[in-house]
Amino acid sequence: MIEWLMQHVLEKYNFWIAMTIILIGLYAAMAKGNLLKKLIGLSLFQTAMFLWFISLGDVGRDVMVTWGLKGGTPPIIWEKAIEEGYTYVNPLPNVLMLTGIVVSAATTAVALAIVIRIYQKYGTIEEDEIMERELQEEVRYAFS
Amino acid sequence: MKSLSSFGIVIVIILIGLSAYVIEDLPAFGDANSPANKYIRLFSMQSGAMEDQLEGGVIPIEIKNKIYDFGFNEENLYPTLEEGGYEIEWNEKNGGWDVLIEEGEIYFNEPIKYYCIKILGEELAVYRYNWPVRIIEWTEEETATPNAVTSGLADYRGFDTMGEETVILIGAIAVTMLLRRRGRL
Amino acid sequence: MTGGSAIPEEGVARRDVIIDTISRLIFPFILLFGFYVTIGTEGTGGGFQGGTILAAGFILYITVFGAKRGREKIPESVNTFFESFGLYLYNGSGLLCIIFSMGAVQFLNYPGIWPVTDLVGVAGSRAWIIAFMVEVGIGLTVMAAFISQYFDLAWKDEEEMVVRKE
Repeated sequence: MIEWLMQHVLEKYNFWIAMTIILIGLYAAMAKGNLLKKLIGLSLFQTAMFLWFISLGDVGRDVMVTWGLKGGTPPIIWEKAIEEGYTYVNPLPNVLMLTGIVVSAATTAVALAIVIRIYQKYGTIEEDEIMERELQEEVRYAFS
Repeated sequence: MKSLSSFGIVIVIILIGLSAYVIEDLPAFGDANSPANKYIRLFSMQSGAMEDQLEGGVIPIEIKNKIYDFGFNEENLYPTLEEGGYEIEWNEKNGGWDVLIEEGEIYFNEPIKYYCIKILGEELAVYRYNWPVRIIEWTEEETATPNAVTSGLADYRGFDTMGEETVILIGAIAVTMLLRRRGRL
Repeated sequence: MTGGSAIPEEGVARRDVIIDTISRLIFPFILLFGFYVTIGTEGTGGGFQGGTILAAGFILYITVFGAKRGREKIPESVNTFFESFGLYLYNGSGLLCIIFSMGAVQFLNYPGIWPVTDLVGVAGSRAWIIAFMVEVGIGLTVMAAFISQYFDLAWKDEEEMVVRKE
């Protein structure tokens, strides 16, 4: 039991930290009533996903041996770095996630525009009051 | 409590249990030889007299057939392992023989590392290299940019970046269509 | 007795001297840094990063001085031109390479059409294409998209603005 804990929890701590923030963002997007709080939860969820995927590419860090603070250098090819014995960080996760960050910012802007239109039509942002007003209009339309 | 928040807590607990089940398959943090960073191990075979064949520069037939069984053959459009199409070199840093194959490109047509064959005890183990190894070794010579991230984004994978930029343009148009009421601002 | 030496316009709150001066001084340096980061071949950088830095400079100007004066700096026709021009530069160079290499279709891998190849060689002309065709195109589109989104979210109609007197 202790060996499983040491091998799978202490050596892969990037997964547990990112998973905590993902679960906080998921809970906020699901269970809060205010529309703006749901948007904040969604943005938190996306940012933690990028953090976990980019941390998969780190190279050269021995946790159990030295509590290592010596990692890889950024992937810019430089002759002096090869002589001194550095290793380069994996460039593939950075390539795939770079465009995703800017796309997530543009998506948040479109969602904020939709929230502004809802506020102009109903006068409130709370989810319960919007549902009540929709039900009242349905009842009035059915009896007319 | 409201019904939505109790439902949320139940789903969070289910996901924590699922992540404890999944974590045994993930690579360790900071491993230089993990499959995502360097190479992945395909199989290992008993070596009879195969080491002499490898020093002579020929891949033995059993290893070649087993690589074809995995799916890296000509029907799926992978480069061939026939006679005369590859070279074998001894790599000092990894401790094994490298198999170099030429791809049919127009500019800079040089052999590229594909497989690595190592000796572990009495067996021979076959590894296959991953794509980040190629982009770090060849980015200074093919495109004169030392920045591996930019050359991977704009030159080797340029078609995907074109699609992502179109998404940003459509996001700007969508905000304009939602929020303007009486003509121009 | 804080600030407020300028004459207050109609519809804008009372302005402060320190914020006005510093934002007007620092705005061209932000633009210069943005152009330096956009060319990303000989160091860190890239198109997406440089585009957001350029947009951040303009958003600072709009936040301090109001949306009406910010609209005089970037009118709507210039904004639309930059949005389309960035994408046109990138897609156009790719389409030209596809059309001119009819036998083996290559995307951005055909440096025979650009006149720079005779001077620098094949590898150097690829670096020229990455720096000036692809990254500048991405930077201009991202900058124009973020500025137009910020204007749409922060604009108020004429009848909603409040005139403040002292």
